[in-house]
Amino acid sequence: MIEDLVVGLAGSGGDGVVSAGESLLAAASAQGFHALMTKSFGSQIRGGESSCRVRLSTRKVLNPGGVLDVAVALNWEDFRRFGAELRIGPETVLIHEAKAGPPPQDLAPAGRMPREVIGVPLAELAKSSAGTDRAKTTVVLGLLSGWFGIPREGLDRGLQKKFAQKGEGLLEANRKALASGIAFAMEHPLASPRTLTLPVGASPKMLCDGNEMCASAAIFSGCEFFGGYPITPSTEVMQILARELPRYGGVVLQAEDEISGVGAAVGASFAGKKSMTATSGPGMSLKTEILGLASLAELPLVLLDVQRGGPSTGIPTKPEQSDLFAAAFSAHGDVLRPVLAPTSVEDTFRVTVEAFNLAEGYQTPVMILSDQEIAQRKETVDPIDVSRFELVERLRPTPEQLAGGYQRFSATSSGISPISHPGMEGGNYLAAGIEHDVNGAPTASGAIHAAMNEKRFQKLAPLQERTDLFERLGPPDAPLALVSWGSSAGVAREAFLQARMRDIPVKLLVPTLLYPVAEQLYRAFFTSVRAGLVLELSHQGQLYRVLRMFVDVPPGVTSFARSGAQPFRADEVVQRLAQQAETLR
Amino acid sequence: MTPVTGIDFERLTLRDALDLAILIEEEARDRYLEFAEQLATHDTPEVADFFARMSRIEERHRMELLERRRTLFGNTRSAVERRNIFDVEAPEYEAARAFMGVRQALETVLAAEVKAQVFFSEALPRVKDPELKALFEELRDEEVQHQALVNAELARRPEKPDDSEAYADDPVAQ
Amino acid sequence: MKDLLSPNDYKSPLKPIWCPGCGDYGVLQALYRALSAIGRPPHEIAFISGIGCSSRIPGYTTAYGFNTVHGRALPIAQGVKLANPDLLVIVAGGDGDGFSIGGGHVPHAIRRNVDLTYIVMDNQVYGLTKGQLSPTSPQGLKTVTSPLGSIEQPINPLLTVLASGAGFVAQATPADMPGMTALIEEAIRYPGFSFVNIQSPCITFGEEDQQLKAHKSRMKTLASLGHDPANQLAALDLARAYGTELYTGVFYRNATPPPTYDAQIRQRKAELQRGEPRPRSRVLDGYLRAGGGPTS
Repeated sequence: MIEDLVVGLAGSGGDGVVSAGESLLAAASAQGFHALMTKSFGSQIRGGESSCRVRLSTRKVLNPGGVLDVAVALNWEDFRRFGAELRIGPETVLIHEAKAGPPPQDLAPAGRMPREVIGVPLAELAKSSAGTDRAKTTVVLGLLSGWFGIPREGLDRGLQKKFAQKGEGLLEANRKALASGIAFAMEHPLASPRTLTLPVGASPKMLCDGNEMCASAAIFSGCEFFGGYPITPSTEVMQILARELPRYGGVVLQAEDEISGVGAAVGASFAGKKSMTATSGPGMSLKTEILGLASLAELPLVLLDVQRGGPSTGIPTKPEQSDLFAAAFSAHGDVLRPVLAPTSVEDTFRVTVEAFNLAEGYQTPVMILSDQEIAQRKETVDPIDVSRFELVERLRPTPEQLAGGYQRFSATSSGISPISHPGMEGGNYLAAGIEHDVNGAPTASGAIHAAMNEKRFQKLAPLQERTDLFERLGPPDAPLALVSWGSSAGVAREAFLQARMRDIPVKLLVPTLLYPVAEQLYRAFFTSVRAGLVLELSHQGQLYRVLRMFVDVPPGVTSFARSGAQPFRADEVVQRLAQQAETLR
Repeated sequence: MTPVTGIDFERLTLRDALDLAILIEEEARDRYLEFAEQLATHDTPEVADFFARMSRIEERHRMELLERRRTLFGNTRSAVERRNIFDVEAPEYEAARAFMGVRQALETVLAAEVKAQVFFSEALPRVKDPELKALFEELRDEEVQHQALVNAELARRPEKPDDSEAYADDPVAQ
Repeated sequence: MKDLLSPNDYKSPLKPIWCPGCGDYGVLQALYRALSAIGRPPHEIAFISGIGCSSRIPGYTTAYGFNTVHGRALPIAQGVKLANPDLLVIVAGGDGDGFSIGGGHVPHAIRRNVDLTYIVMDNQVYGLTKGQLSPTSPQGLKTVTSPLGSIEQPINPLLTVLASGAGFVAQATPADMPGMTALIEEAIRYPGFSFVNIQSPCITFGEEDQQLKAHKSRMKTLASLGHDPANQLAALDLARAYGTELYTGVFYRNATPPPTYDAQIRQRKAELQRGEPRPRSRVLDGYLRAGGGPTS
């Protein structure tokens, strides 16, 4: 009996590989499994190579998993294209369309060819049961049910969802295809059988992705305006809000470009509303100037950057974690803006709420760095008790302050001055990107400029004390450190657990707040550390570099970083940690 | 381009006429004050002071007229509004120049007074009421007097070209 | 309750950086008067601008002002208006701010038809940065960035805005203060995107023959030409003379203005929010149903 199963499917877009994965995911979720699904495509809009991976478990799923337990190849060319994402090994059960012939010699490096390879006449079975060979993937679902114990009812519900609207005949046909897959599995048991333990007393779960969580959290936080522009992989946020936000009295504007999208959001913030925009790398670059404007004018704003392969157009459909430099530093001048990063679909909700709180409380743009994997992977999430979240509203002037001599940028001990908005009588002021005095009047004075910079930086100082925005696990005096963020943190968490089971003396740090760098906290964390890894998906290892700008990172802590589209696996991280542990002896 | 809009001279009452005259002085007063501010901000102090004095002079004229109005008509609401007049006695904005000399400023004032005189002269034939006629004649004649004063000032200053512009720095890009 | 607001109620204590003799002083004065005539209190007015000499104008009024970044005033202003449609929103900037870097936003602001007024102070030059070529500079103009004379044809702001379908298009000059004031007031009152191109000469870097003195002799009112502002084709035809003739007045006024973007948003909101109000705390319910678990 197994508790965890990672299934990878690859074929071409016309085969419905991803829909099959979705059916599988829905079935798993309905059954009470924790589950997670990622997808990967070629560059065609339709019909290019297509793959998905679904991980089901009775325990919480931390990441999409490493080597596949089950690989399904509808043809070899397409399967081969996903080598990095669909990694196979000796323990993988490799199922393939019989017609495609045996696996090519070079499908996997030496020593990694699966021991159990089964050719199934998928097209034939589909044709004879459903009347078309397009029903191949439904047959596959039947095989998975028969061989690994995924309950049939759940899969049937998945079929209903997909085919009910498309004609009664189709649903019936596919039910037959499912049955034929199950029958084949029964008639051809696996050499090394493995059946999934079914979850017991499972509780209801949500099924959603990171973009959905971000949009929902924005609504929950009281967002009233979204201005943006379509860009993969963030467009869903705008689409969900376009449908939902007006129901709550908000406005969504698809503007003419990235700049006007964030510009409109800044205008809405000036008008007193919580507002946001969403984009990916190329849009970040374009929005830079407006971000600087919001910082200088001290206007709240939430900006979601769903990172993808960069730089420039890069790889729109694959995740990477290479926008940290841009998020923290882009916009000329001395600008300090908070950067947060969720580490999972569930986490995206909390981080988005936090982003709105920081933006409104500190009157600043706040960046959320998600990535394509978190944003678009579907995951089961335990219900979130939203009542535990506190919402922060911007500090507004009192009637006394409005009655006489209101100064928008008045000096206060916290650096945060009450902010009015058009419509508020007595609060009239000039907002500007030009440097200004306490009244908002333009100034070229060096002294005032210095004071204003100090104010804008000083007001964010309390972020250094936000230990609640850091996850630390493991013995505080451990000599080995594992630091990670974003989607890579999911792999780091699993690697940490595995390492601890092997008694590797490692502790884990996952920051939600990436910038400003909480120097004290990192210093304290690194005190005991002599070696370790900073795990992230970027060519330069951007968090590693940023940490080194502000903190003395122990020389034994190295960057384990690589370009996106080649996600980390827990086993390779554990291996490195083990090697480093050796050097410490 | 008529500097006065929305006023029917044939129906004008004495009260309206006084209010009109008051507004004309008020507009001139504000314009001279604006010029004083502009020129003070643009390093032309001597002429800034000059225009500030002009502003105070116009204010005196305004107060005198206001006194007369109050004596005759109390504080009843005026039917004539600022929006009805445009640059009657107020010099046009384009008359101001950074680094302008006093002579140029005097010429600006002269032109403004001439404008005002023309206004009252042209209004006269359209006005029926004898009291109104008397008022407008008085106001017209005052403008003529002012012009004489200004001309005297001009005569006292030699007509040499003003070269402060030559000493000034080049404009600065912002 | 305060009396009717006077023009000076809209005047802020900030001293303009504009050179004495600048056309923008006239525009500012006309704005004070127009706003006073309309009567909205300053705190209900949002005045958005870009970067340039003319873009400094919001700070010289007592309205809520937002001096943003070069070329982006229109999108930012639309965000302000859509967030609070009860505000009176005015946008101002120069010809470079509006038609060079900002040019991409103009057709979209027009077709979106959010209710705001866009005032462009067009002086055919980049004044704030010392006299470079602008998108409306006439062909052949010698400037610091075109010492041998510009090669490009200028953009025609009137034609561009008319052709993009704007419902109110006018041109004015401070050489005719009453006319300009009336046009600004009318533009603000027009329900929808309205545009006033003001020939506001730069006293320091503009051509000598383009100053207000020249305007007085050159200008011709559209009314005097017998133009009917309801006639869009005639307006387009007259707009072609931009650069050669100085026509002032209303080129085009849509006799049947369509509902503005903000009015339609308001209506949709009203329709969507009929019935049970939706608490934001229940926003995640749909995902539980998608999860298909025991209680779904």
